[in-house]
Amino acid sequence: MRNFLPFIVVGVTAGSVYGLAGLGLVLTYRTSGVFNFAHGALATAGSYVFYDLWTRYHIPWPLAAAICVLGLGGLFGVGLERLSRRLAGAPAVVTVVATIGLLLGIEGTVAVHYGAETQLVKGFLPTSTFRLPGVNVGWDQAIVVLAGVAASAGLALMLARTRIGTAMRGVVDDPSLLEITGFDATAVRRAAWILGGGVAVLSGILIAPTIGLNPLLLSYLVVQAFAAAAVGRFRSLPATFGGGLLIGVVAALGQKFTSNFPVLLGLPASLPFLVLAVVLLGSRQATLPRAGMVRRPRLDRLTPLPAVPTAVLGALGLVVVLAIPSVMGARLPVYTSAAAYVIVFLSLGFLVKTAGQVSLCHAALVAVGAVAFSRLAAAGVPWPVALLCAGLVTVPVGALVSLPAIRLSGVYLALATFAFGLLMENLVYRTFLMFGSEGHRLAPRPDLPGLALSSDRGYYFLAVAIAGAVAVAIGLLQRSRLGRLLAALADSPTALVSFGASATTLLVLVFCCSAFFAGVAGGVLAAGNHAAGPAGLGSLQSLLWIAVLAISGNRLTSSAIVAAVLLAVVPSYLPEGWQNFQPVAFGVVAVVAALLAAKETDWVAAVKADLSRSPRRHSRSPGRARVTDPWRSPVASRQEAAP
Amino acid sequence: MKHWLDGGGHDLDGLVVEDLTVRFGGVLAVDGLSLASPLGMITGLIGPNGAGKSTTFGACSGFVRPAKGRIRCGGLDVTHLPPSQRAHAGIGRTFQRIELFDSLSVIENVALGLEARLAGSSPLTAVLSRRGQGSAVAAAAREALTRCGLSGIAQERAGVLSTGQRRLVEFARALAGGFRMLLLDEPSSGLDGNEVGHFGDLLRDVVRSDGLGVLIVEHDMSLIAEICDHVYVLDYGRLIFSGTPGEALTSDVVRAAYLGTSPVELSATPAPVGR
Repeated sequence: MRNFLPFIVVGVTAGSVYGLAGLGLVLTYRTSGVFNFAHGALATAGSYVFYDLWTRYHIPWPLAAAICVLGLGGLFGVGLERLSRRLAGAPAVVTVVATIGLLLGIEGTVAVHYGAETQLVKGFLPTSTFRLPGVNVGWDQAIVVLAGVAASAGLALMLARTRIGTAMRGVVDDPSLLEITGFDATAVRRAAWILGGGVAVLSGILIAPTIGLNPLLLSYLVVQAFAAAAVGRFRSLPATFGGGLLIGVVAALGQKFTSNFPVLLGLPASLPFLVLAVVLLGSRQATLPRAGMVRRPRLDRLTPLPAVPTAVLGALGLVVVLAIPSVMGARLPVYTSAAAYVIVFLSLGFLVKTAGQVSLCHAALVAVGAVAFSRLAAAGVPWPVALLCAGLVTVPVGALVSLPAIRLSGVYLALATFAFGLLMENLVYRTFLMFGSEGHRLAPRPDLPGLALSSDRGYYFLAVAIAGAVAVAIGLLQRSRLGRLLAALADSPTALVSFGASATTLLVLVFCCSAFFAGVAGGVLAAGNHAAGPAGLGSLQSLLWIAVLAISGNRLTSSAIVAAVLLAVVPSYLPEGWQNFQPVAFGVVAVVAALLAAKETDWVAAVKADLSRSPRRHSRSPGRARVTDPWRSPVASRQEAAP
Repeated sequence: MKHWLDGGGHDLDGLVVEDLTVRFGGVLAVDGLSLASPLGMITGLIGPNGAGKSTTFGACSGFVRPAKGRIRCGGLDVTHLPPSQRAHAGIGRTFQRIELFDSLSVIENVALGLEARLAGSSPLTAVLSRRGQGSAVAAAAREALTRCGLSGIAQERAGVLSTGQRRLVEFARALAGGFRMLLLDEPSSGLDGNEVGHFGDLLRDVVRSDGLGVLIVEHDMSLIAEICDHVYVLDYGRLIFSGTPGEALTSDVVRAAYLGTSPVELSATPAPVGR
């Protein structure tokens, strides 16, 4: 037992920071309905600025911490409130894209300004120790735990006892009702966001001495916060804090146990993703708090372009595509990978734009395809067969990802798929199953006598042809019965199901189709690079892809081409050093695109709101009374009774 | 209470609800309700706000799980079937809060009323349509559009229509589905007087010519009186009245339920009817 105590101390220390971060997340999610993927990015920015102020400008650390938590946290809070106000009522995927854009923007800015590599920093808290029975505890650890507990208890007390706390709970129930009582709902939300921002920054400052300054690692603090919030079912503050502690302690103990088993080394660090995945998969959507989001039509299905300009545009495009090898010379591989990314974005767009689903683990699917292709090709399977089989091997993985989609939707689905992507990256990528300990596998190009397909030029044309074939296949799928059913599923699953179609079948189908094409894309991408490797297929890439796709328009094929060009081609033309700005640019544009998307369809929301405001809706029928939810009074939940 | 179908002998054909009880936590939303909605008839389900009408509908179409009781359609026990299977058993419905496929055109919406059922739960039929199904679906959609007078807006996007048109599209979609029973949840809400009149005529015409059964939840008492063959009145989840619309309008029990008080005190309290 004595051997474990030091690990428990470390775990409790980290866990109280996770719990604190989780609290901020739950607070802002419940009051605004916007689930903030950038919560950890706020921690990143906060901790970097804090160390700048403290070490470079020699401002005493308590003052520097106060400046960061109150100033920077408050600034973030005010900004996020403005953002979330404009996103109010938008579909979940739009809010997910907006906050992912923010995550990319902040994380990218920090990486550009301070560098992406980890900087070890000295702790600002006293490191001397005191003795508890059986274990030495550092004062810094004790202070972190105390700060976490105090901040959490303060938040809980504030929500339970103060007027503003009551108002925050009220704004969850019915903002307009709250305003009748004299509160300004916007001001209440702003207060919640400022608190949330401050808490995020504080958690970043507290955790930085432990994990060092690293923009990505700190931004991924959001995952620990997600997991802690999931333990609290996205509503209970004490359970969220407890969840954070639990994750911290189990991960620390896991570190001790797995030190003897190299295979399991990634396990403790993956614990938050596991917890998140398990809680989400184990929950029925109805039992999770619903943000006050309305479903709205997607923006595609606009009037089709007239036939003649489309034909002219297509012919022009074809000429450009044919001319590229002669014009581009050494840059040709860039365009080859762009062709592969067209397939990636077609497969992702089919899922997101046609079926209205969210997947934040698409890079993992592409990675599976790449590995399957290179293993099959290495085993001597003919090239086209290996490519096809790479797609088929990825299908079961897609079916696995569809499991959360059957039970969850919107932001919870996004979270579950994000957790899956992280698990794949942290647990599976490096094993023999995928890229192996060497980190990559060779992937050959096809060798057909007389066609020179293995040359850069020949392979470019092959990749373009495959992308074209996939575009045609997906276009046919969209026009088929499946396409219509998926569009209907995106608009109103309730209606579709009550007319006899099975949502489960459709979801599994669309994820399997999308996975198949993602697998093919992985094969094409790998053969283009002569090797399949995890570079460019990490979990952050999945977020980047969703953001890029969101800014590329609403028509499936054209948006896939635009997204591929933005992602693969544009960076190669940027001057040296500018490439680092690419995620920042994508992030900023994604936020703007989300805001535009949220704005454009507002009038439909207004019509729907008008309808649902008809007095009959506020019936006496008790409906799904969620009296177990401390955020909602039973009276208010009764008002949304109508199914 | 005597049901109007008792001894009628044809109660197997339509929708039959027996002893339905639905609880939400500790609240009894529907308490031992029995009703029958036979084919070829329009049956009304009315009651004050919160009486349990929508919950009953939810239980009939599979979105609400009953604590007790049995629901049959065409002699088939559907009590434990999921919503999609109820469509296969012949139950189609519209929604109080309109549920259209907003990004699709009107004709695509209406066609999906039938195509969704043809797709069913098999992955194969969800992707491919059998020979002849495509033209059957198109024909059903066109016919439903014509009957509802929507042919002129067949290519419009459903999301941009007015509430009145959207209600009609929803009805046309249910019609195209070829269901034996239609459950209509407040089909006239959001319509103006003129539109309500047209809708009533349309509904009666459809029932007369197609012989399907309609169970309708409605607040517009004049529409109920005009089209229904029989009404059930709910209050606090219990059946308090069953009879013709004319009888319902003159029933003291029904009046008391709607006004929430005895007729004697009526002058003293403002009437909350049709809030």
